[in-house]
Amino acid sequence: MDFLIQMIASGLSVGAVYALVGLGLNLTFWTTRVLNFGQGSVLMAGAMITAVLVARGCNVFLAVALSLVVSALILWVIEFVGVRPMLRIRGSMGWVVSTLGAGIFLQGSASWLFGTQAVAFPDVLFKSSDTIELLGAYISVQYIAVFVISVVIVGLMELFLRRSTWGYGVRAVAHDRELAALMGIPVRRVVVGSFLVSGLLAGAAGVLVAQVSGTVDPNFGLHLLILSFVATVVGGMGSAVGSLVGGLTLGVIEKLVGGYVSPAAAEMVAFVLLVAVLTIRPQGLFGKADTVKV
Amino acid sequence: MSKLVDLITNTWTLAVLCVVLALAAGFVETGTVQMWSFVAINILLAQSINLLTGITGQISLGHAGFFAIGAYASALLMKGAGLPLPVSVVVAAAISAGAGYLLSIPAGRVREFYLAMMSLAFGLIVYELAREWRGLTGGVMGVRGVPSAQIGTLSLFGWVLDSAWYFRILLLSLIGTMIAFRNFVKSHYGRAFYAVHVSEIAAGTLGVSQAATKRAAYALSGGIAGLAGGFYAHLVGYLTPESFGLMRSVEILVMSIVGGLGSLTGQVLGAIVFTYLPQRLQAFSDYQFMAYGLILIFVFTLLPNGLAGLLKTRTRYSKFDQLGGIGNASPAVALTQRHSDKAASHGPLIRVEQVTMEFSGLRALSGVSLDLQPSCITALVGPNGSGKSTLVNVISGLYKPTSGRILFKGKDIGGQPSHRIAAAGITRTFQDPRNVPSFTVRENILMGANRLYVHGPLAAALNTPHAKAEEREMLGRVEALMATAGLTHHAEDIIGDLPYGIQRLAEVARALASDPELLLLDEPAAGLSEHEAERLVQLIRMAADHGVAVLVIDHHMDFLARLVNDVVVFEAGEVIYRGDMDGMRSNQAVIEAYLGKEEVSHA
Repeated sequence: MDFLIQMIASGLSVGAVYALVGLGLNLTFWTTRVLNFGQGSVLMAGAMITAVLVARGCNVFLAVALSLVVSALILWVIEFVGVRPMLRIRGSMGWVVSTLGAGIFLQGSASWLFGTQAVAFPDVLFKSSDTIELLGAYISVQYIAVFVISVVIVGLMELFLRRSTWGYGVRAVAHDRELAALMGIPVRRVVVGSFLVSGLLAGAAGVLVAQVSGTVDPNFGLHLLILSFVATVVGGMGSAVGSLVGGLTLGVIEKLVGGYVSPAAAEMVAFVLLVAVLTIRPQGLFGKADTVKV
Repeated sequence: MSKLVDLITNTWTLAVLCVVLALAAGFVETGTVQMWSFVAINILLAQSINLLTGITGQISLGHAGFFAIGAYASALLMKGAGLPLPVSVVVAAAISAGAGYLLSIPAGRVREFYLAMMSLAFGLIVYELAREWRGLTGGVMGVRGVPSAQIGTLSLFGWVLDSAWYFRILLLSLIGTMIAFRNFVKSHYGRAFYAVHVSEIAAGTLGVSQAATKRAAYALSGGIAGLAGGFYAHLVGYLTPESFGLMRSVEILVMSIVGGLGSLTGQVLGAIVFTYLPQRLQAFSDYQFMAYGLILIFVFTLLPNGLAGLLKTRTRYSKFDQLGGIGNASPAVALTQRHSDKAASHGPLIRVEQVTMEFSGLRALSGVSLDLQPSCITALVGPNGSGKSTLVNVISGLYKPTSGRILFKGKDIGGQPSHRIAAAGITRTFQDPRNVPSFTVRENILMGANRLYVHGPLAAALNTPHAKAEEREMLGRVEALMATAGLTHHAEDIIGDLPYGIQRLAEVARALASDPELLLLDEPAAGLSEHEAERLVQLIRMAADHGVAVLVIDHHMDFLARLVNDVVVFEAGEVIYRGDMDGMRSNQAVIEAYLGKEEVSHA
């Protein structure tokens, strides 16, 4: 019973982070129909920069703030060199390859700058040894903090997208880019904004995950990217609520299978889920079916 | 430059080069032969991803997964079960092909970037399994002691293979694979793969099932990568998961894209460059990850067609060159002569019965009924938004009608997938031409004949006499169609570079190349010059003379007047008139539909 509760708690915690990353993926997908295949490396960059700065004696909060700014700027550059020039190419081949390339480049740069070894991540929120008792099980406070922070950010983003002027802009551009431009919405600014915010979310998610995992290395983000993508697909591409439900579901299933079956089986969970969803219901639980215009 | 390329790609030059390499392998250092073997393996890998990504348009970011499956399978089969080299390598390729097939299961339903992400996940899973499944793969320690040519532990039926002989066997397998692959790509299968790449919707209307085509591409691509993996295992003799990580997948992708997606020659160039570059250039090898990253970011902007594009070499997607033209083997018949009077006794060719089409409440067609007879040209006119194109989309299987039946030769085809309907003999064109822009006019029109081919993939790869005869016959049809359409002098031109009118004419010729029984043309005359419109009339008349039923949507009444036997007028999703042109001009309902109702004023 204790074990079950612990597994569920850690599942909810990572699941909320998947949702956070998924929301970042969704944001740029809404405005440009582009999915950033290099997002995993942005998570890594956010966590890595925090870890390295703190190790050199920088204040923890300053380090986190700086790494968030850098993450946002990275996405801005990706949009500029990897996405905008590729929208002229028909289909998704161009941007899939260029955004993947951006991720690979970041990964290579991190290995070159900081080495390929894992770097210890500092305790930003509580200590890894802090626990509280819940229904008789000891649960790390960090798990709870990560879960709460992620859900709050997702919730605030959802509110922001629904209520703010910029949010209206994002939704208008998502609905019809050309029409939005004709209605006087500054499409370029909305697009760049969506990339900057997506970078912020990725940086924050990187810091949160690294807090739980304790270390960060250059290969750190790829798993997270794939798992977040699966969460987004399960929930439905383009749905923020879907991302959250998909993320939490995936996180819990993954931890339970990992705990009760084997870690290797846990690796398979996301993949099997992805294939199953794409085969049975490609639009996901909360998404709308793609309409094909002839 | 092009002469140099011609010389390099000439069959005899290549044959001499291969013989020289095979002989030289016995005299050069072992390290050099090893490098040659790595080049051969990388060429296989590049061709494999080229088939999937370059030709079929399905991006693969986890190709190292197939490579790993082939390598581990062959290593374990030989080490554990004692299978001889040829068997273990072929079985490994088959297992890898199976993995490709499984991976393609959702392929028919989702857009390409979903599959790209899935392939990324696939590569990662295989890598993780190689690390975690210790009982089978030895975990991070890897599989040691695989029989290998390098250390002289590999033997074939008692004959110990050294590096030179291993290279010769590998070279022979590579040549065999390349020839079969080239023949396959130049057959109707290659064209179908490319059609799916360019437009899944248009591919369907040529009788190509996109789901089946993608599955075949995944399986074949997985198989070739698995073959490369098998050869790799017995070359190095020692497998660890680290050889099959994301970096390897990226490397394979870089080779193929830099070489030139879609080009067979380009893959060879890409493989050579990226096998030697890290070896010869220390700086490149130090910053490999960053270099590959930068290449992927900028390659499509700076080198869109890769090295192949730079050298202006282009893979041709027909066997026209191999066959030495079409010769004068058979008199060219463009279309099968169908006897219209015989068919007439069985009722209409197609009968649309009370078809209704709704899009979330919006009714585009309401209770449309329509018969079309063989040899008869029918015009479909009506104001914009009256449902003309919707009817064509419903008949050709792009939309599933909400209700009603569509009987084609007495069989209900309503709601069947478009490739089935095309295969049954209904061909259509689109309002905007949907050709393959990088194909020549001849290759584009030949694509239309896809549904008529009967030879299978093996015959296509081996170029059997039957396959050649069939290709020659289809090329003959294409030649006859080009003559009627006035396109003969454009036969070898890339269609994307030609004027719009020519592209449209070629699309109609492509539709006729399928030898259809029912031809649906959606505004074929839009944008044509006087002269081109005349050619179009000739093409359509030729079709009708051969017993094809033709339905033409157009707004150009003068064009229709000299062409059609019969007019159907649509208004708001309903048929408001059917009869001859003159009757239509004086029909009150038609006039109202176009010009509006006259106000009755009470003065």
